[in-house]
Amino acid sequence: MDEDPHTADAAWALADIQRRQQQVIDQATVPGWYWWAVGALMVVLAVGVDVRTPAALGAAVPVFAVGLLTATGAAVRGQFRQARLRNGLLDGTGVTAILGFVALIVGGTLGIAFALRAGGIHYPATLACLAGGTAMGLGGPVLMRTLRRIMLGNRAGSPR
Amino acid sequence: MTAARFDDLIHPPTRLAIVSLLAASQWADFKFIRDSVALSDSALSKQLATLEQAGYVEIRKGFVGKRPRTSARLTPAGRTAFEQHVAALQAMVARSGVKIVPS
Repeated sequence: MDEDPHTADAAWALADIQRRQQQVIDQATVPGWYWWAVGALMVVLAVGVDVRTPAALGAAVPVFAVGLLTATGAAVRGQFRQARLRNGLLDGTGVTAILGFVALIVGGTLGIAFALRAGGIHYPATLACLAGGTAMGLGGPVLMRTLRRIMLGNRAGSPR
Repeated sequence: MTAARFDDLIHPPTRLAIVSLLAASQWADFKFIRDSVALSDSALSKQLATLEQAGYVEIRKGFVGKRPRTSARLTPAGRTAFEQHVAALQAMVARSGVKIVPS
């Protein structure tokens, strides 16, 4: 049985609307390298803290600050040049996911660091940040996929 | 619930693609729209002018440093028209029983 041409046209239009909105959402995704860069910078800062010399801390803090600003600038520069996402796409669930991810990384890293220090292990902050940085590198893309799914669910015409 | 209203101005494929991009954005850069929809500068300008005349799109011209930069955004009327058009398309598809499988 042939499909009504108007129905076929409407179905094609809805699929194209979804594809175009995905294009906007995808260009706003934070690239995978960013999470590993931030994880590596956490380790650099932790080494400065663990070595406990003014020179080490004096080197680690600027590297961390400049590195973080540079990486963040590079990650978001392209997005702001192209299109800014509509505010309503990222709802309370998305904000909760971001805050939960940050709390998990920070809380986990601090917890590991304090536990290692209590156990008398050398370089507790560095080891904890190695774990936290790895979690960030692996978890960042997962967070992005979650946010993408949330935003696609909030776009016009999505099956809610 | 959004009222369904088929919009002949939005429905042609090129304009539908432009409006769909803008519907997910607060604003979008002219070059981003042009490259996404694969149009020439003049063709995109013409389509945006049509949408602007209908009150659906607002065009913003400015400078970033010394470079001219043009961006576009949906007006509230444009967003309402788009949402009503999507609702009309969904109603057409729902009546036929066809399912759109999300990609």
